[in-house]
Parts: sequence; C-alpha cells; structure tokens
Amino acid sequence: MSAVLAFWVLIVVLAIGTWLMRSLPIMAHGHVATPPWAERLLRHVPVVALTALVVPGALYLKDHAGAYHFAPERLLAAAAAMLVALKTRNVAATLVVGMVALWMAQAAVHALA
Amino acid sequence: MSRRTDSMLAGAKDVAPILLGIVPFGLVAGAAVISAGFGVAEAMGMSLLVNAGASQIAATTLFAERAPLAVALGTALVVNARMFIYSTSIAPVLGEAPDRLRPLLGHMLVDQNYASTMTKGRFREGVDVVAYYIGAWLALASVWQLSTIAGAVLGPFIPASWGLDFAVPLVFLAMLAPALKGRIAIEVAVATAIAAAILVPLLPMQTGLLAAMLIGMAWGGLRGVESSPVEPAEEEAT
Repeated sequence: MSAVLAFWVLIVVLAIGTWLMRSLPIMAHGHVATPPWAERLLRHVPVVALTALVVPGALYLKDHAGAYHFAPERLLAAAAAMLVALKTRNVAATLVVGMVALWMAQAAVHALA
Repeated sequence: MSRRTDSMLAGAKDVAPILLGIVPFGLVAGAAVISAGFGVAEAMGMSLLVNAGASQIAATTLFAERAPLAVALGTALVVNARMFIYSTSIAPVLGEAPDRLRPLLGHMLVDQNYASTMTKGRFREGVDVVAYYIGAWLALASVWQLSTIAGAVLGPFIPASWGLDFAVPLVFLAMLAPALKGRIAIEVAVATAIAAAILVPLLPMQTGLLAAMLIGMAWGGLRGVESSPVEPAEEEAT
C-alpha cells in the first residue's frame, strides 16, 4: 500500500470511528433511557472537559518524541490568564494577556538560564 | 428574519471570540500533514472528515513516525473518546432535533461547540438551540478549514518559539472561568486538574486526558449526592 493510500485509509477510518462516538448518543436520545446515575455524572462534563483541555497545555511542553517537560513559563502565563478570565470573562482579553505573559516569561527564563 | 436564522447567528456570534484561538491549532494540524510528506488535499480532507484537531495531530504525527496504522488509529480514537461523553451530555439539549438531522449534528460536535452550547446557548432566551449549535459549528468549521490550509502552506515557516499552540489551552481557560460557579464546580475542576497534571504525562497512548475526565466526573458524582438535599435550587436550575 502506498503511503498516500495508507494515510487516506487512516483519515477515513478515523473519521468513521470518531463520527460513531460523537453521534450514537445524540441519535439514541429519546429512544434509549439514560439511567439516573449517568445523569448525575454527566452534569459535571462541561467543567471537567474544559479543565482537562487546559491543564496539560498550561503545564507542559511536548518534545518531538512525545515526552512531556514541565514548563514554568507556561504555568505563570496560564495563572495570569486565569486571573483575567475570572475578572473580565472576556476571551480576547484572556488570549492577549496569556500570550504576552508567555513571551515575557519565556524571555525571563532565557535571561536566567 | 426567522427565529432559526437568528439562532444560527447567535451561535456564530457566541463563538466569534474563540475563533482566534482555533487558528494556531489549525496551523499546527495543517503543518503536521505537510511535514508527514502529504499535501494540501490531505490536510483539507482530514479537517473536513475527521473534524477533531487533537486527534488529527496525533494520528498524523504517529503516521509520520512510522507507527503501525493500528497504533496511529487507536491513539487518535482514544483522544476522541471524550466526544462520546460530550454526546451523551448534550443529547437532551439537542433533543428536539428530528432523527434524520441527528447524524449530522453528531459530526458537528467539537470541543468549542460543545462548550459554547452547554455554557451559553442553552440558557439564551428565545433561541432555537439546535439552530444555535449548527450556526456555531459553521463558524468554527470555516475557520478550522481555512487555518488548516494556511498551516499546510505557511506552517513550516512559523517558529516554534512563538508558542502559538499556547492559544489553544487559553481559549478553553477563558471558557472555563464563567462555568466555575459554586463549590462543587470548583472542587470538580481542582480534582480534574490534579488528575490531568499527574496522569497525562504518565499514561500511554494519550489515555491520561480521558482518565482525568472520568476522575473529575466521579468526584462530582460523589459530591453531588452529598450536597443535593442542601441545594435543591441548584438542582432545579440545571
């Protein structure tokens, strides 16, 4: 199998698998009842998902081999962005402050090293 | 304008501020396809069909590293397993959608659309939440497609030292802050954060993210039982 064909097979099979996971519960709703214990767990999904999406990128840098390295400049910048997010609830302000804080912290880390 | 059009516009408007945060993500996903040795067609096709950034980057990187096809596929599917939880969680909110529309709604379920619909859209008054969800996805997917193409074309020229990938967690952070209402929500966030910090670097094949989410949900489920008799008002609101 050529590399291009193999990559397209990967794309299509990944697309189908992902679609099944995304769609089945939406399609089943109203036809299959959700047990009450599941409802209790699902209530917390928005907070849980957003937190899990924030934390790795706010703590670690990933190298080319896929290994994680603690990055203090990211933690500092994320903390600054968190304060802005809580205070302003403004996405653009959070983005700007977070990126500028990252560049400043990177410069500081370089100066210290 | 009809209520449906208004609702679609409301969805697009709510995700407008986070569109900027998708661009670096798309740049990385597009550039990864090129550095794996493929072209713009593969980058576009992947973004359109898979429509899930983190898994696209994981699959492409593993493929480029000559991992067996099954490993690249398995890892990417594990990365996307959280979508099953999203889908179960958002299903009642999209419950008015007719059956024939639902397979398409499933494909539109991405992190940002889920978060915007669950934290904002479903509370908007007079909004058709299904149309809202579709409008939000159209805005998100357009920017996703364009930024993937830009990444395929420009990506190799963007220096890693700019740290543009940091914009991705920043957007989720901005969406998280308003959702941290009440003691249990904060506890759940802290439990998830600790679990993610420990498990994501530790567990293989990107299973750490999913494990952290399950721990956070379990914590919330246990605490929810204890506090529900004390806080009936909160139960009503959700």
